[in-house]
Parts: sequence; C-alpha cells; structure tokens
Amino acid sequence: MPATAASMVAQAMTQELIYQTVPRKPNPMVNINPLKRGSGKTVTLADRVIELEKTAAWKKNIKQWQEEQTLFDMNRLPKVARVPLGDLLIDEDVQRPLDEKHCAKIAKPGPFDPALLQTLQCIKRSDGKFVSTDGQHTGAVLSALLNAGVAGNINWKTFLFNVQYIETDDLAFARRAFSVLNGKGKKRQSAYQLLRNDVYIIRIDGNTSDEEEVIIEKKVSIAESNECFPVEEDSPLCKYPSTFTNIATFKTMTNEEIDLSTKWHNKYFHRDPIHVSLFFIFKDLCRDFNSAKLPITEKLLEELAGLIQNLFVDLSQYSSSAKEAYNRWHKNRYGYLGSWNDDAYACGLLHLYKKFKGQEKLPLTLLDRFDDLINFFDEDLLNLAA
Amino acid sequence: MYHLYLVKGIGGRIGFGIATNIKDRNKHYSSHSGDIVTFPVIYGGLRSHAKAIEKTIKNELSDHIWYVDDWKTEWLDKKYDETFLENFVSKTIEEKHCKLKIIHRNYNFTLDNS
Repeated sequence: MPATAASMVAQAMTQELIYQTVPRKPNPMVNINPLKRGSGKTVTLADRVIELEKTAAWKKNIKQWQEEQTLFDMNRLPKVARVPLGDLLIDEDVQRPLDEKHCAKIAKPGPFDPALLQTLQCIKRSDGKFVSTDGQHTGAVLSALLNAGVAGNINWKTFLFNVQYIETDDLAFARRAFSVLNGKGKKRQSAYQLLRNDVYIIRIDGNTSDEEEVIIEKKVSIAESNECFPVEEDSPLCKYPSTFTNIATFKTMTNEEIDLSTKWHNKYFHRDPIHVSLFFIFKDLCRDFNSAKLPITEKLLEELAGLIQNLFVDLSQYSSSAKEAYNRWHKNRYGYLGSWNDDAYACGLLHLYKKFKGQEKLPLTLLDRFDDLINFFDEDLLNLAA
Repeated sequence: MYHLYLVKGIGGRIGFGIATNIKDRNKHYSSHSGDIVTFPVIYGGLRSHAKAIEKTIKNELSDHIWYVDDWKTEWLDKKYDETFLENFVSKTIEEKHCKLKIIHRNYNFTLDNS
C-alpha cells in the first residue's frame, strides 16, 4: 500500500525516538566497588598522625602555634569519674527539655543495647556537684530502666555511671560544650557513609537484626545487579560510568523503581555516570503509570532513551536543558525565576515524547502539569519536530 | 549552530570549550594571550550535543585536566596534545551518535570574513 503524505511525515518524526546502540566498555566499578567488600584494613594512630602532618593545612596550623609561642593547658583536658546517677543535676537552661517519646523509642526491648550507652558529659562545679551538659536522655533512660527492675534489683540512685567532666563554674562553657557535642563544628557522617555502614553490617558482619539495614542493603544489591553503584560525593569514583551520589533520593525509591531505573540506565546509558534525574523520572513514571493502570512498555522505555540520545546525548544534558526550559517557562508565566521542581523532569520528558509523535499511552496526570513547558526548550531541538 | 572547539594556547597547551559565536570567542582568547590563538578543530551542531560532549570531556578526562592550585581549568595537562583530544572527542561523537560535525580546522578570527 502506498504511503500517504501524512504517514510519511509521522514516520519522519519518529526518527528522533529511535535509539542507536552505544558500544559498551568494561566498567571498572564492577571490580572496585567499595561496597562489595570492606578493605579489611586497619591502620595505627601513628599512621594517621603521619598522614595529618603531611598536609599543608596542618603545617600552617602548627606554624601558628609556634609563632604565638602558646602551649595548651593540659589541666583543661576532660577527666573521667564514676558518679551515682542520683547525684547528677541537669541544667534546664543548657540542655533541651526531656523528649519522652525519644526515650521510649531508644529503650524498646530488642533495639536497646546497653553497650551503646555513651559516657555522660558534665561540668563539676566548685561545690562538688556534677551538672550534666549532654546525655540527659541516656541518663534518664538508664535510670528509669533500672528503676523498673529490668536489669535486676539495682538502686538506680546509687548506681555508678561513667561521666566525663571539666571542673568549672562557667555555664558559658557548658552551653558551648552542649552545642559542640550536639553537632556544631562536628564533621557529620555523609549519606554515603551511613549507607556504607548499613551495607557492611549485612555483608561483612552478617548481622541482619536491624530491618532498616536489611532494606537498604537490598536496594543497593538491586542497583548493583544492574551494574549501578552508589559512591561518595566528589570522590574519584564519580568519573566512572553508572555511579550515583544522591543517596537520599535513592533511599526513597521502592525496589521496583530502583530495578526499572537502573536496568534502563544500564541498557541505554551505560557509558555515563547516573544523573539524579533518573531517580526522579522513574519514581514519577512508576507511580503515575501505576495509578492510571497503564503499563510502562519496553517500547516506551526504548523510545524515551532514543529521544534523550537524539536530542540531548545523555540524561545529564537533558536535565540541564529541562532546567533551562523550566526557568524560561516560570519567568514567562509568573514573571520571576522560581525554584526548580523535580517533577518537571518527568513531565518535560513526556511532553517531548508527545511532541515527537510518540504513540505509547501516557498518564494525563503527567501531561497536564507544566502544560506548555515544551515551548521553552531550545529552538534548535523543537525545530527537529517541525 | 552551536560550537565545540579545541583551542591551542600560545605555549602549546591544548584546551576545549563551547560557544555560540566562534569568532568572538577566538578574539577573546587572542586578546588575552597577546597573539593569535588557533582553534585546531571546531565542531558544529546542536547546542545540547555540544554541551553534553563538553561535560563528557570534563568527566572522562578528569585525571588529565590542568589545575592551577585548586582551580580546575578547561585545559589539559601538557603531555596531552591536540591529536589526543581530537581523537577522544571524535570517537565519543561517533560512538554516542552525536549531531556534531567538524566545520573548521586551524581556525583563527583573521581567517574569518563572516
């Protein structure tokens, strides 16, 4: 049957939806993935001292100490003591109010482990009284558990517990110490370090007693089975294909969403690091297609990959272009630049899919949003559909 | 038409960049350098493709980038020459099916009558 002019045009339009295979290269991450196994390595403190002393920042620091000819006061080092819990005071102007729900949560049988109780931080006043500056929840939980008799017949008031203290009457010190002990100036664990801990507890220690750790490790395993790897932000591993750093978004995804998104990445964009938009797009696709009871077909997945390849080369560039389009759209509609909305990744992509005559069924919930965003993508791209 | 170019510094160092107006960009390099600067290769095509390939260079050649203290430049370490970079870019364009083509070789603004 001879092709009509209309069908020929439609056929020409869909050229932009055709994905062309990209040669696969071996991904070094398959072998060097740090989550696969621990390094098994321990170092001495002396090793760390050598490492520290090599750095320019440390040398500069010490030079300043030497120039100022100052010595730090060894008497200011904290001391340790065992103090009856019943003798401890809590300064309510220094510490937060007691969080009873927090106490109840950490004292639950099962998760509660006395080995994780930390030394209480105190000042010792000139009248000999110990005032807690940090750790009131630990002290309160332990005392109340002992009082309840769950550790046997122990008088909590006379029970000796470890405190670390400074001798001072200066409450300004106590307030500052509370801020420091509760995070101010502390190097916090990154999202990746927390994830790595969860994974190592399962993989290296073989301990599956914490449900949340098991769930996280499973998510990582699914991504790894599709040759996709979480890595630390700004680490040298970020340059490798199929690595991602946005752990927070990754953790919000269901196993099915992780599987579909990482499989898609590994099939079509295996040469590129993973842009976080992958997770936002697939979360939205899975949830909206599911609500609309529409299937995410293999054809759709391949055509979306083709669209990204033909118009943007990769997902990272799609994301930059989508953000530029979104800014222009927002300025045009509301008269000022608005903050980015992650939902626009999926919506923009599906608008483009329609523009380039994609035929698969799409949920209207995604097409109705940012309805004329499509008009704000680069003109040279839109001309390809003209 | 958008451009991805390779640039050769006065001392021979090879770099890269993207631009809409290639003549203006070449003039800027030349005025900063105090001499005519050559763009050994210029690729032309879609803006999004030029930007994507520039990002790929920055990522995949991150170990080859020249740093001035902590400042990450758009120049390579001197041991990498223009052939190395052109081969890398052309191969990437081919393998990733990019809509970019070589439109000039050994370009400088004095040769451009546009």
